[in-house]
Amino acid sequence: MDSPEAHRRFEVWIADALVSRDPVPLFEKAREDPDLAPALKEALAAADPDGLRLTALLVAKLRFERLVRGSSNAGEWFDRDPRGFTEAFRRYHAEVVPTTSEPRAEKRLFEAWLAERGIQAAGP
Amino acid sequence: MVLVGFTLQPEREYCGLLEPLLVEDADYFEVTPETTWVRDGDELFRPNGFWRLFRELGERTGKPFIAHGVGLSLGTFAEDGARLARCLEAIRMSQEAFRFLWYTDHLGATVLDGRAVTIPVPLPMTSEAAAAVRDRLGALQEIVPDVGFENSAFYYLLGKPLEEPAFFGRILERPRTHLLLDLHNLFTNAVNLGFDAEAWLERLDLTRVIEIHVSGGSASEPEWLPSRRVMRLDSHDAPVPEEVWRLLERTAPRCPNLRGVTLERMEGTVGEGDVPLLREELARVRRTVG
Repeated sequence: MDSPEAHRRFEVWIADALVSRDPVPLFEKAREDPDLAPALKEALAAADPDGLRLTALLVAKLRFERLVRGSSNAGEWFDRDPRGFTEAFRRYHAEVVPTTSEPRAEKRLFEAWLAERGIQAAGP
Repeated sequence: MVLVGFTLQPEREYCGLLEPLLVEDADYFEVTPETTWVRDGDELFRPNGFWRLFRELGERTGKPFIAHGVGLSLGTFAEDGARLARCLEAIRMSQEAFRFLWYTDHLGATVLDGRAVTIPVPLPMTSEAAAAVRDRLGALQEIVPDVGFENSAFYYLLGKPLEEPAFFGRILERPRTHLLLDLHNLFTNAVNLGFDAEAWLERLDLTRVIEIHVSGGSASEPEWLPSRRVMRLDSHDAPVPEEVWRLLERTAPRCPNLRGVTLERMEGTVGEGDVPLLREELARVRRTVG
């Protein structure tokens, strides 16, 4: 299958990989997908594992920066407790789909996740 | 005559420090339209403070704008079209205000299956992917007649690097669709992916180049990757390296339809001490292509 539908499926694999903690195993798994054409499997095989991991890291880094730009509370939490905030962000990034490029919308997503999980920022 | 431009970034300190350079040394301003919009959820885009600041600069200096977006996501397949329609509406609004001479975005996808990865990630070099990008550029052309894409900096590729120029050719079939040749991206990819930038350029149709970008970058930290490998980053936070200047010197004279060369710099990376260097870099661009 080398159709727009196959490309949509391919895109879902890439998205899953790039928001995961390690994209390389998902790229390997995608190459076993019987619904992907050989050309798309070859494309996956061409990817440099270090480059993939760096890209996933940059996706998370940009989200982190977006959140801190959009939320002064998040920024203050990070200043007070970088380790605690970073760990919370890691969980957030793993559990909440990144649906926005807007700092203020990212803030709302983060605050909703904190409330749902009952997590409170460490006090001063 | 090839014009020389500089990027406007959404940071007041950056705009303030660089005001004399922008007024005296640049022929045009490059704007990333998304940095001039506010959007909440599914609401329509509306202008933010930088929209007003940049327009005021344009009105005061009489200098034109070009657009270099990042949000159109030229190669996205898995979406219903609503995001794209909103984005095009915001571009239409921006075009009415800024009268961009041309509009480019990055080759790749910044939205995958509805997920905002926000940096351009590579596409498979298939005829389907080329057609998808052509369609998006076609939609953009209904708003801005001259459109194009930039060769992006990718840290991995979904194919062989030296096959990229042929893939570009399959995208740029329509009239008034152009390539923005980013020489720092090319240099970054050549370093990270291990190929010869000159060989890549030999395969490229340079008649399609409307604009060239030059900029600098830095390196990743060893602890970022399990392999501890250090990779070059397209971070726009350092002077233009000599390798990129050499690429500019050799390539610009071979681009017969080149209209502008833009020096890019990221917000948050410019201090007072950097301004003379950036002025000299703009002057060097002008000496090179003038």
